[in-house]
Amino acid sequence: MTTSPVAGASVPAIDISDLRKNYGSVTALDGLDLQVARGEVHGFLGPNGAGKSTTIRILLGLLRADSGRAAVLGGDPWADAVALHRRLAYVPGDVELWPNLTGGQAIDLLARLRGGADPARRDELCERFDLDPTKKGRTYSKGNRQKVALIAALASDVELLLLDEPTAGLDPLMEAVFQTCIREAKAAGRTVLLSSHILAQVEALADRISIVRKGRIVESGTLTDLRHLTRTSVAAVTDRPAGELAALPGVHDVRADGVQVRFEVDGEHLPAVMRRLGELDVHSLTANPPTLEQLLLRHYGDELARANGNGEVA
Amino acid sequence: MTLTMSRPSAPAGARRGGALTGTGTLLRFMLRRDRVRLPAWTLGIALLMAYFVTALRTVLATPEDLRGMAGFSGSPIGALFGGPGYGYDALTIERFLAGQYGLYILVGAGLMSVLTVTRHTRAEERSGRAELVRAGVVGRHAQLTAALTLTTLMNALVALLIAGLMSGSGFDGAGSLLFGAAVGAAGLAFAGVTAISAQLFEYPRAASGLAGAVLGAAFVLRGIGDMAATHGSWLSWLSPIGWSQQTAAYVLDRWWPLGLSVAFAAVTAALGYLLSARRDLAAGLVPPRPGPATAAPWLRSGAALAFRLQRAQLIGWSLALLVAGLSYGLFTQPVIDGFADAPKELLAVMGGEEDMLAGFLGLMGLMMAFTVAVFAVLSLQGLRAEETEGRTEPVLATAVGRTGWLAANLAVTALGVLWLLFVAGLAMGVGAALSTGDAGLLGELVAGHVAHTPAVWLVLAVAALLYGALPRALPLVWLIVVYGMIVGFFAPILHIPDSAVNLSPFEHIGEYPLEDVSVPATLALTALAVLVAGAALAAFRRRDIICT
Repeated sequence: MTTSPVAGASVPAIDISDLRKNYGSVTALDGLDLQVARGEVHGFLGPNGAGKSTTIRILLGLLRADSGRAAVLGGDPWADAVALHRRLAYVPGDVELWPNLTGGQAIDLLARLRGGADPARRDELCERFDLDPTKKGRTYSKGNRQKVALIAALASDVELLLLDEPTAGLDPLMEAVFQTCIREAKAAGRTVLLSSHILAQVEALADRISIVRKGRIVESGTLTDLRHLTRTSVAAVTDRPAGELAALPGVHDVRADGVQVRFEVDGEHLPAVMRRLGELDVHSLTANPPTLEQLLLRHYGDELARANGNGEVA
Repeated sequence: MTLTMSRPSAPAGARRGGALTGTGTLLRFMLRRDRVRLPAWTLGIALLMAYFVTALRTVLATPEDLRGMAGFSGSPIGALFGGPGYGYDALTIERFLAGQYGLYILVGAGLMSVLTVTRHTRAEERSGRAELVRAGVVGRHAQLTAALTLTTLMNALVALLIAGLMSGSGFDGAGSLLFGAAVGAAGLAFAGVTAISAQLFEYPRAASGLAGAVLGAAFVLRGIGDMAATHGSWLSWLSPIGWSQQTAAYVLDRWWPLGLSVAFAAVTAALGYLLSARRDLAAGLVPPRPGPATAAPWLRSGAALAFRLQRAQLIGWSLALLVAGLSYGLFTQPVIDGFADAPKELLAVMGGEEDMLAGFLGLMGLMMAFTVAVFAVLSLQGLRAEETEGRTEPVLATAVGRTGWLAANLAVTALGVLWLLFVAGLAMGVGAALSTGDAGLLGELVAGHVAHTPAVWLVLAVAALLYGALPRALPLVWLIVVYGMIVGFFAPILHIPDSAVNLSPFEHIGEYPLEDVSVPATLALTALAVLVAGAALAAFRRRDIICT
């Protein structure tokens, strides 16, 4: 702790600017900027290979950045690694366990190496995640290995949780348990960096979101902020024909079919379009906010088009 | 035509199928998967035999050499590590090959069978591939049948290769055929054993481990039996390896003991089928044992984890060195008697005629130093595997520092090196003291073995430096070990100049008790090892962790 600089609550949990990292000729991070405030759950979204894991491993001091600045809880992740690691917990996306140690032994070991965990909390988490801690590491499925790392991290009393696609392999029931645990962590004042491509998860948990693509942050803000940048889908049944809406600014893809009309509208033009729609005697109206899929589609649309129906966003 | 004729009834007939449907396809698939492994095993065993033939023809060139060997091999120790000793009263090279060295060929065939059957049955189920296969048009017993057929083919191939090699070397044809068949029959017996053990456990290593333990028990049983009486006692007849040896190739040339082997293989395989029908796919008949739900209180630091991860290896190596040390030690007197009139070149390696005993014991100490160096390198390779397989990452993401983590692992291995050399020296010493009746040898051997520690530490430190700086280059450290072996064992024969000999770290401390232990060399090697280890820690501190 002696080497760790002041870490008051005023310092952001994570502060990265212009971070760069190359692997030979491959650019992993290309000037990445990221700020995560204390106490927030920050969604870190992007497709595989965008640089999410590289960023997190630099924050852990496992990799060294080529240039740029990264601060974790006010400290230097490379120089102050050990001091910082007492205050944070990490869950990798692909957990490997020691084949000869049981899950319970691995949980205790990882938690103790971090500075110890509350045994009661550990047992409670084992029960909630429905994990049998007496099985040997080599016998666990991917989902169960993931649970071991999650329990070890959540049982520790830390300020920051770095979670790199932590629920890959968990079933929906366990996903729900995970979400409850993250909300509890937030209520306890912990900061969470949640890297994910499970959009529903980020939507449900994140206060703010950063979207990373090809080693750069391309969008950052609250879900509301980002929705302003996108279109709302509207479906309505009107007494009078609604074809004229197509002429309004910010309205796209109008498909009128008798009394029914469907269209998309840019966030900033929504108020004007809604007023006009009201004048057409609306009988029924459905308006859907953009999903994160649509947010991502906007950023990765070109790649998706090339993927030719592969449909995989992340 | 036949196809057309049978077509009307084909749907019903083909759909029903039997428990063996698909065996042929699976067998072809296994042959394809093993296209490198199969020739490697079969040719490997044949090459080992070819090596024995060539080496013994060189060493035992004259009838006097053979007579000297007969006395040595006929002793109980010779019987334990050889066989029942048929035809040793009129020893020939081929009788000696089959009677003394044949044992290791039999064990080789047994191992080949154990690993092949496990690989194609339990390992396939464990990986989940068997599920995919069995979901196809494949019968319940097809996989086991195909695996056993493959193993039978491999053993037949080994039998033919050995028989061909032996008769090609000018030995009696009938005896050679029998010797080859005895090797194949031993292999079959252990294929049968594995057919059972593969049904018992969910894990391939447990299945091959149990079959391997049966192989070990078979080795020990016939060893005790062969020691108890010339031509073996009833205990020898309880062992599948014993049956193959009781054929007494090139002496009695009797085939009937192989009937026991084949019957044993058939009964065990049948039992395997029976057991496999009583369990679910991927399940074992013996349920996996649960472990402790919490970690022991001491398991709370990087050093504790380093010890925990190396503990199993340390125990295994300790036991192996204990057995090896004891058995080499027990050989001391027979070796000295047996080699009294060996060729001068051979004696030179052992330190000359005047001091055969000290020379032999000093050489054994050096050999154990190389063996323990192998442990040190393997443990560093294990550390690298921890990293590449993604288990180091979560540890270094906790409050464990990199320097401390590598230092702890190196310390555990370094202490392990010291401990293993001590164990080897102790076991050697006990064996040698028993063999020669000179209790003073115990202390000399412990000292002579432990004295090599700094040299092994230097190898460990170089391995650590490679790991810390350029992990991919880690295997290069084997060069030091191999170079040390060549120089250590063959310098007198190959007339290697001193300057080249001195490059090996193993050549400076001295082969006690033949030579004195050099204190300056001990201090210099230790200091160098510490220095290199320090550089290793500094390099590891600076590099990226390998992430998957």
